[in-house]
Formats: sequence, structure tokens, C-alpha cells
Amino acid sequence: MATNGTTRTVTIRLQRFNPDVDKKPVMKEYTLEITSDTTILDALEQIKATQDGSLTFRRSCRHAICGSCAMNVNGRNTLVCNQRVNAHLDRKGAVTVRPLPYLPIIKDMVVDRTSFWEQYQRVKPWLVPPDDVPEKEFRMTPEEVAALNDAEKCIMCGACYSACTVTAVNKRYIGPHALLKASLRVLDPRDTITNERLIEISGNDGVFRCHTIFNCIDACPKKLNPTQAIETLRKLAQKREAFVAARKERQKSL
Amino acid sequence: MQISHTRIFQLQRLSAIGLVIFLTTHMVVAHYPPGHLDFSRVIERMAYPLWKGIDILLLASALVHAVTGMYMVITDVEKVGRYRQVLGWASIILFTVAFIYGTITILAFRLPAETVNLIP
Ligand code: HEM
Ligand code: FES
Repeated sequence: MATNGTTRTVTIRLQRFNPDVDKKPVMKEYTLEITSDTTILDALEQIKATQDGSLTFRRSCRHAICGSCAMNVNGRNTLVCNQRVNAHLDRKGAVTVRPLPYLPIIKDMVVDRTSFWEQYQRVKPWLVPPDDVPEKEFRMTPEEVAALNDAEKCIMCGACYSACTVTAVNKRYIGPHALLKASLRVLDPRDTITNERLIEISGNDGVFRCHTIFNCIDACPKKLNPTQAIETLRKLAQKREAFVAARKERQKSL
Repeated sequence: MQISHTRIFQLQRLSAIGLVIFLTTHMVVAHYPPGHLDFSRVIERMAYPLWKGIDILLLASALVHAVTGMYMVITDVEKVGRYRQVLGWASIILFTVAFIYGTITILAFRLPAETVNLIP
């Protein structure tokens, strides 16, 4: 997209934390010139290049696909590489950027995502297909694909995980990201460990902990719907045996 | 006491449906009835076994709902997780005591004819 050429001066308010020096995070303000196309990630890069080389943050693709740059902008979790500074300025011409909340801060915008990945692994995010793989491809019906609700588009940025009030107080909770992935596998007619999956997600740390407050939907940069996935899993967990039997039947015709 | 989360979830949703019915009825009949409201009307209505039954169901729904809700939000906190067993029993005891006490109170209502004799 072309830059319209006009620049303006804005304030970027950043939460800084250096574990070697600081006891707790502090807010610092940086003034810089932006154009209408400057993204928040561009602004961070600019600050790092011209004002403070110690500013630390994760980024990679700059195209909203790698999921590394999720941060909290003016109180909402989002990717910063696809958000223009202009769109987030308050009345005083400032934007506030913090690391993803409720996760231990390693440095500045970099948070420790260990619990996020542990919970992800816990749901066995991979597909477990039948042993006797057919010669031709497995075929899913258009309805079965539609039921996945685009869950495969998740980029694992952690925005939903860190926006969830249950994960905020309980890192044993499986979390919206992993439950979304679990729904993807549970609803996949090729998957063979449906029973095991449904038992795992309906335990103490699973779907029944969700309070349906939609923070995850609000935070998702890919407009996915973890709440709906959790609701679907709740329904299936309550009729697990019937669902597993139907799955076995379905696999005969894959 | 270890009740599965599926059961707690179901209890909470079922009792919420109970609340929609009984709490609505309760608000209309007991708090905002057409015309004026005084004690004689309350005691007249409460003399009917059907109303006693409805009120006991309201009591049960509210208690089940509140107790399961409290249990769930308290055990959400990771550090509290290890006291789940104790909290489960505490919830059941709380429910039982409150239910018995509430039921006795509801059943205590008598027909006006019986109560009139008690007034000196
Ligand atoms: C018509 C009336 C009511 C309806 C339809 C209703 C419905 C619900 C629902 C669906 C939930 C689950 C929320 C979640 O997903 O976490 C809930 C939670 C809860 N409710 Fe109610 N409720 C009603 C009245 C009450 C009353 C009268 C009380 C108190 C006596 C109460 C206490 C609670 C508590 C403590 C929770 C747990 C909080 C939470 O899970 O976020 N509710 N209610
Ligand atoms: S840098 Fe890859 S998603 Fe933002």
C-alpha cells in the first residue's frame, strides 16, 4: 500500500522490564515520527534502531502468519505486525504496548510461553490416523470440513491464551488454544483416539472450566472461535460413548 | 468428595433452568403480585402444599446453582486446586444444612385458622 507521505509525531508508551536491573516492570515513553502506514511493529523496530537498542521483542514474518509478535495494545491482545499505529492512538496521540498479560516476563515484550506449549502438547495436537492407511486419500465430506470452523488456521500466537481469565489464575487449565486444536482433532473423522481425547478435555482442567466470557474470540487475530470449539467439545464429552461408536462406524467408509 | 466436572456442569445448567422458572414465578408472586402485598396474603398462599412444593424447588435450585457455581469459581484458582476434595465436602454440607433449614422454614407456614389461635 502506498504511503501518503504525511508524517506525524506520536508517543509510544512501552512497558519495559530488564530482569538484571528492574524489580518490576516500568512504563517508558518514546516519541517518534510515523506515517499512516507505520505498523506498531515498525514503530518498535524504529525505537530499537534509533532510541534504545536494548528493547526486546519477538517477531519474524511481519505478515501475521508466524504468531511471534502477539502483544497487548491499549489493553487488548493482538498481533502488532498487522496493526497500524494510527488506528490505536488515543486522544493524546499515544499508544500503549505491553507484553501478553498473565505470563511471566522474560524481558520487555518477551514472555515465557512454557505453560502455553505444555498445554498444547497435552492435547496431542497431531492426528492419529487408522493403522491401515488406504491406498487412496482419506475423504472428508464438505460438512465435516465445515464443522472444523477454520480451526486449522490458528497460528499459535498466544493472544487468546493470555486473554483468558481462567488461564490467568490457573496454568493447569488446558486453555483456548489447545482446546481449539483438540476440537480440530476430535472432529476429524480420520482420528482414532477420540475417546482418549474427550476424557482428557473433560477432566479437572478441561472444557468445563470455561466461563464463556469470549475473551479468546475477542483476542484472536485470525477471527477464530475457541469458545464455540469448547462448547462443541462440551456437548461431545457428554455423549462420548455414542460419539465414539459413531466415529468407528464412520471410519469403515473413509 | 470428587464429582466429575461433567456432572457439576450439568447440575449448574439444570439448576439455572430451574431458576428461570422458579425465580421468575417467585418474583412475580412473592415480590410484585398484582394489587397490594401484606402478610395475610403470604400466609394464605403459603398454606397450599403446592406453593410449599414450588418454594422448596426454588430453594433447591438456588442452592444447587450457587454451591456448584462457587465450587467452580473457587477451584479455578490453581493454588486452591489441591483442596478440591475438602471444598467438595464443604459444598455438600453447606447445601444440606441450608436446604434442611430452608425447608423447615417453608413448612412452618400454617393456615390462618391455625395461627389465629396463637395470637393472645
Ligand atoms: C434466572 C436466574 C439465573 C440463571 C439463568 C443463571 C445462569 C447461570 C449460568 C449459565 C452460569 C454458568 C456461567 C459459566 O459458564 O461459568 C451461572 C453461574 C453462576 N451462578 Fe447463576 N444463574 C441465575 C441465578 C443465580 C442466582 C440467584 C445465584 C445465587 C444464588 C447464582 C449464582 C451463580 C454462581 C455463584 C455462578 C458461578 C459463577 C461463574 O461460573 O461465573 N446464579 N449462572
Ligand atoms: S511477526 Fe509474524 S505474526 Fe507478527
